[in-house]
Amino acid sequence: MISVIRAFRSEVLKFRRWSVLAVAGVMLAVSTLIAYLTFHQIASGATGREMTGLIAAFHTPQGLVSIIGQARSLIIAVALVMVTANLAAEWSQGTLRNLLVCEPRRLRWLAGKMLALVLFVLLSMLLTLLISGTFILILAQGQGIQTTAWTSAEGLSVFLAFLGNEVLCLIGVSALGMLIAVLTRSVAAGVGIALAYILVVEGIIAVVLPQVTQWFPGRVFNTIVGTTVPLVGPTPPQGYPAALGAALLWIVGFVVAGAVVFPRQDVTA
Amino acid sequence: MPLSTEPSRVFAIETHGLSKHFGRHTAVDDLTIRVPAGTIAGFIGPNGAGKTTTIRLLLGLVRSDAGSAMVLGYPLAEPERYLPRVGALVEAPAFYPGLSGRTNLEVLARLGGYPGSRVGELLEMVELSDRARDRVGTYSLGMKQRLGLAMALLPDPDLLILDEPANGLDPLGIIGIRELLRRLAAQGKTILLSSHMLGELEQLTDWLIMLNQGKALFCGPARELLAQSVEVVVEAQDAVQLDLAARIADEAGYSVTREDQALRIACPAGFAETLNRLAKEAGAPDLIIRVKEASLEQLFLALVKGDRS
Repeated sequence: MISVIRAFRSEVLKFRRWSVLAVAGVMLAVSTLIAYLTFHQIASGATGREMTGLIAAFHTPQGLVSIIGQARSLIIAVALVMVTANLAAEWSQGTLRNLLVCEPRRLRWLAGKMLALVLFVLLSMLLTLLISGTFILILAQGQGIQTTAWTSAEGLSVFLAFLGNEVLCLIGVSALGMLIAVLTRSVAAGVGIALAYILVVEGIIAVVLPQVTQWFPGRVFNTIVGTTVPLVGPTPPQGYPAALGAALLWIVGFVVAGAVVFPRQDVTA
Repeated sequence: MPLSTEPSRVFAIETHGLSKHFGRHTAVDDLTIRVPAGTIAGFIGPNGAGKTTTIRLLLGLVRSDAGSAMVLGYPLAEPERYLPRVGALVEAPAFYPGLSGRTNLEVLARLGGYPGSRVGELLEMVELSDRARDRVGTYSLGMKQRLGLAMALLPDPDLLILDEPANGLDPLGIIGIRELLRRLAAQGKTILLSSHMLGELEQLTDWLIMLNQGKALFCGPARELLAQSVEVVVEAQDAVQLDLAARIADEAGYSVTREDQALRIACPAGFAETLNRLAKEAGAPDLIIRVKEASLEQLFLALVKGDRS
C-alpha cells in the first residue's frame, strides 16, 4: 500500500504541467460556455423541437442539471483523452523506464498513477459542474428567473444523483483509456483509437446492431447518467440496474485486462 | 568466449546463458558474463550488439526468453529485491519536458521513497542548481545527460548502470564524469558503463565485457585483455611484400589497417613470429616487424572482425 501511495504522490507532481492544467481549463471553460449558451437560448425564449424538453424542465428541480449537463459529451471526451494521453506518454517519452526502475512492482505503480489520474479527472469535472452551475444560478437570479426549484432539497437530490452516475461514468471512461494506453503504448495511436472508438465505432455498430451496442461500454457509461436526467443523455433501454451492472462489469474487465497485460510487457521505449 | 576465472571475487552481476529474442531477431544470445563488485566495468560492442537489451534485462524492463541472472545476489525474477540499490541511465535520458529539472527528480524521489534533500544534493553535484527551476525542455543535451546522471544516483546505488553517460557532453563534462565515476568506485560502488568512447573506457575501467551480435566476445579484467593482444606494425619498401603480409594476417582473421608503407595488425603477441615465418616462406623476406601494445580500440576491432569472419 505504501508503494501505491508513493506512486500517487509522485504522479500528483506531474499535474503541474501546463498541458495537464490546460486540458482541465478547456473542460471548465467550454462546459461553462455551453451551459451559458443553453441558458441564454431558454431565457431569451428560443423555440424549436430540440429545446422543448429543456424549456419544460427549466423551472423544475431538474432545470439546472439539464443546463450544466449539456457539456457531458465534451467532459467524457476530455477525460478519455487526458487519461489515455497521460498514460501512453510514459511510453512515448521513454519516462516509463525511469519509473519502473524506481518501482519495479508495475501494478502498484499503475494503481497509484491511475488513482491520481482518476481523482484529477473527477475533481476537474466537479469543479466544472460547480463553477458552471454557480454561474448559471447567478445569471438566472440576475435576470429575475425563479431558481427555488433548482436549490430545493429535490433539486439537490437530482444534482447528487447526476453527480454519482457521472463519477461512475468517468471512472469507466478512465479505465477504458487506461487499457487503450497499455495496449497501444503510444500517445497518437492511443488517443486516436480511443476517440475513434467512443465517437465513431460504437455509433456505426449501433446503426447495424442497436440491440447489441446498448451493452457496449461507451453506451453503458453514457446511459447510466441519462437515467437521472433524461435531458442530458439517452436513457438505458435495458433499464438502470442492468446498465449499472454492465458498467461495473466493464470497469472490472478493463482493470483485469490491464493488470494481466502490463506486467508482462517488454519496456523497449 | 574467454571468461576470466576469479572464484574468490563477489560478483554484482552474473548472467548464465541469458537470451532475448524480438520476433526473429536475437538481441541477446546465450550470454554469460559477470561483473565483480566494486569495479568499473566497460560494456562495449558495435551498435545492435545487444548492450542496451542486456541492460534492460538486468533492470527488469524486458523479460528473458532463456537463461538466468543474479544482480546484487538476487535473481532477475525478483527485481524489487535488488532495484532499490540500483541506479540506471538507459539510452538517452527521458524526462517530462514541461517540468523543471528539480520536479523531474522529485517525481522519482517520491516514487522511490528517497529523501527530498537528496534532490538538492544531486543537483549541486551535477552542477545544475542554478537551472534547477527551469523547464527540462529548455536544457541542452549535456544538461539533460547530467540530470540523467543525478537521476541514476538518486537511490545512492550500490550498482550503477550507465548507457552512454558522456553522450553530448563537452570535454570538461566528460572529465567531470570520469572523476565522478572514479570517486563512486572508490566508495565501493560497482559501475557498468556502456560506451562507444573506447579511449575513455581504457582509462577508466578495470573490467571489460565485449559484445557482438548478442554474444560475449570477452569478459574479464581489462589488463588481461590488453596483455593478450598487441599491435604488430609491419613495414616494407616493397608493396608486393606488404600485400603478402596483409593477406597472411587477413587469412588468420586479424584486423589489418593499411598505411603508406606499413600495416597495423591487431593480434596476439605470438602472431608476430608466425607472420615473420609465413612471410619468409611465401617470398617476403624484407619485412620489418615491430610489436606495440594495442589500444582498446584496436583490440575491439580485432575481436569484432574475428567474430564476423
